[in-house]
Amino acid sequence: MSARVGTPLWVLLPALALVPLALLLPGLSHGGGWSLVGRFALAALRPSLDPLVLGSALRGLGVTVGMALLGWALSLVLGLVLGALSSRLVWRQCSGRLWPAELIRRLLALPRSIHELLWGLILLQLVGLQPAVAVLAIAIPFGALVARVVSDQLDALPTSSLAALRTGGVAAPAALLTAMGPPLLPQVLSYGGYRLECALRSATLLGVFGLGGLGTELRLTLQSLLFSELWTGLWLLLAAMLLLERLVGWLRLRWTMPPRLSLSPQATEASGRDTASAVGRSGRELLLGAALLLPVLVAVAWSLEVDPRSLLRWQPLPPLPPADWGAVAALPWPTLVGNTLSLTLLAAALAVGVAPLLLLLVRPWPLGRAAVQGLWALGRLWPPPLIALLLLFVLHPGVVTGALALALHNLGVLGRLLLESAEHRGETTEQALLSAGSGPRLALLYGRFSALARPYLAYGAYRADVILRESVVVGLVGATGLGSQLLEALSSFAVDELAALMLVYAALTLLGEDLSDRLRRRLLAG
Amino acid sequence: MDPAAVLELEGIHVRGRGQPRLEGVSLRLRAGERVALLGPSGAGKSTLLAVANGLITPDRGSLRWQGHELARGARARRRQQRRIGTLWQDLRLIEELSVQQNLNAGRLGQWGWPRALLNLLLPLESAACAAVLRRLDLDPALLDQPVAALSGGQRQRVALGRLLRQEPLLLLADEPLASLDPRLAAELLELLLEAGRPPRALLLSLHRPDLLAGFDRVVGLRAGRVQFDRPVAALDAGLLEALYAGAAP
Repeated sequence: MSARVGTPLWVLLPALALVPLALLLPGLSHGGGWSLVGRFALAALRPSLDPLVLGSALRGLGVTVGMALLGWALSLVLGLVLGALSSRLVWRQCSGRLWPAELIRRLLALPRSIHELLWGLILLQLVGLQPAVAVLAIAIPFGALVARVVSDQLDALPTSSLAALRTGGVAAPAALLTAMGPPLLPQVLSYGGYRLECALRSATLLGVFGLGGLGTELRLTLQSLLFSELWTGLWLLLAAMLLLERLVGWLRLRWTMPPRLSLSPQATEASGRDTASAVGRSGRELLLGAALLLPVLVAVAWSLEVDPRSLLRWQPLPPLPPADWGAVAALPWPTLVGNTLSLTLLAAALAVGVAPLLLLLVRPWPLGRAAVQGLWALGRLWPPPLIALLLLFVLHPGVVTGALALALHNLGVLGRLLLESAEHRGETTEQALLSAGSGPRLALLYGRFSALARPYLAYGAYRADVILRESVVVGLVGATGLGSQLLEALSSFAVDELAALMLVYAALTLLGEDLSDRLRRRLLAG
Repeated sequence: MDPAAVLELEGIHVRGRGQPRLEGVSLRLRAGERVALLGPSGAGKSTLLAVANGLITPDRGSLRWQGHELARGARARRRQQRRIGTLWQDLRLIEELSVQQNLNAGRLGQWGWPRALLNLLLPLESAACAAVLRRLDLDPALLDQPVAALSGGQRQRVALGRLLRQEPLLLLADEPLASLDPRLAAELLELLLEAGRPPRALLLSLHRPDLLAGFDRVVGLRAGRVQFDRPVAALDAGLLEALYAGAAP
């Protein structure tokens, strides 16, 4: 173990990205739409309460929440099954061979690396517009993500109790379920809660691209400059999101589950401690919760008219031109990849660095903190393409505009996590410094950020990986690299170009995932 | 008002659940005085120390530091607090930083942002920090070590070193000897008494009446009330027995 130079400053280091941003922004600004931005901001105070608008927003919210819920539930089922199937431990116990686990793990990398928006748009082309498309678009990549977490957790859990059962002659499936199920459940449920929040954001985003629900209404009202009606939907969405976050947080506390994607380096230690939450009172409540969820899901599917059979009826595609691989090879690949990476790095640096900087700036004022929390909540709920469209009122399209949109959205996610973690770490040290007369900002920097630096940056590395996947969603502001090219290829049915772009995107995402994993492990290992 | 008083508490009340945590407590510490606070668990010792360092605002009563009421403005309050140093039972060191950076954390109240940031990159005032370590019988070679790598006894001393770097006029310590073995406890107590020499004053809560040598006064606290406040020499076994009657010390 060693003391590292400037440890608490590490959390602020990424905020240096503000310097090039400040230099670039004047050149990017066309300044034409400040009055529109002003009107948009003012409309926040005057959302339309017209019963027609309110009714339509409520219906849209219902559809979005329903799609999120169904997609999430399906992804959990898929994730649990595929997670068990890609676990080395399961295969070692059941057949003594490891290669099937490795193979399934590798195969799952592909659905994981493709953003739900791309899944949504591809399915839309194949089976037409219907609610099942959004549900499946969420379930496929989320299922693969859950599977990875499940198999990683399963392979990292202590196996002594499993070995004890096996030596007692218990068959592998029963032994695995009995010995590994209870310690795995709290981890999976905690992660599942986090994924439900993500699913709500994704369902809204899919709506923005025309897959129905509140997102569609938000985009239409923004493009028609009906800001009061836009805010009716936004406030409703904010209320639903905060309610969901509260509910998930409350359940996590009640069932003593580990924090979501814990900022704690002792995650595995916590998993052992939390074993008790899968049994006893919590266990019964979990079972009851699951039993109640099932009819709710059926009712939601019925009311949204989700028909899984319709997914099998593919609609005829327009006649496709013959593949022109020469034209595909002639695409400006270095620029496309370079722009995608610049956009990701700029957005990640801004999101990771600005959250602690803002927290530090507003530290002495309780009202400032509330304002920052409000800003973060809006950032989380506002889908990045809508932020990008709003930014286009005053900025030219391009990499920086796309990066800003992604940064603002992810700032909301990271800021909330930072605030939650800061509440549990370094409190007494900060208090000691305050009572010795240090200023509140210095006490926060020395007292809390010292302890938070490593786990926060480790989470930042994971977030950068998410941002790389998400960079496709701001493709609609143009010139953002692979994302905008992909959306163009999709809308022009250029299947050859689409396939090549998706492969490059997937390779890039997997490379990014690997790099971020290595960085995260290094940061947490200390 | 006593011009030489470093700390004056007058009729302090702190509400608690059910019964009050402190009830009409008055206490005065003059520069150079070393006062031990005795009492059974739950007597209100920690609450009294938390009131003394400004962490708890009393519901009633007055508190004066060096003859001045508690400042209302945040800056003025911080200026007052720079002169009050607390040795916490859990030490509250910054595990991720080096010994020198931790010692310098005691100076944060005096330093502005530039020095505070520089200290994170390039630890400052090495000579002063080394002198503090020597005074605490620690090897100055430890300055670059992370505090997380130190032994329990060394960590206690570094926490005391941070306090010395703060240069407070009033030293407060809440049960600093509670979890130490007898040898370490005796050593730390000696260092604390040494640090509490004039012009400083020392107020320390203790759970062991056998460690009172070296203190000027002893204050007995029970159920939130002061039972006695007298020179150590005037303390007898009867008073102690009454203080701890029916309670674990």
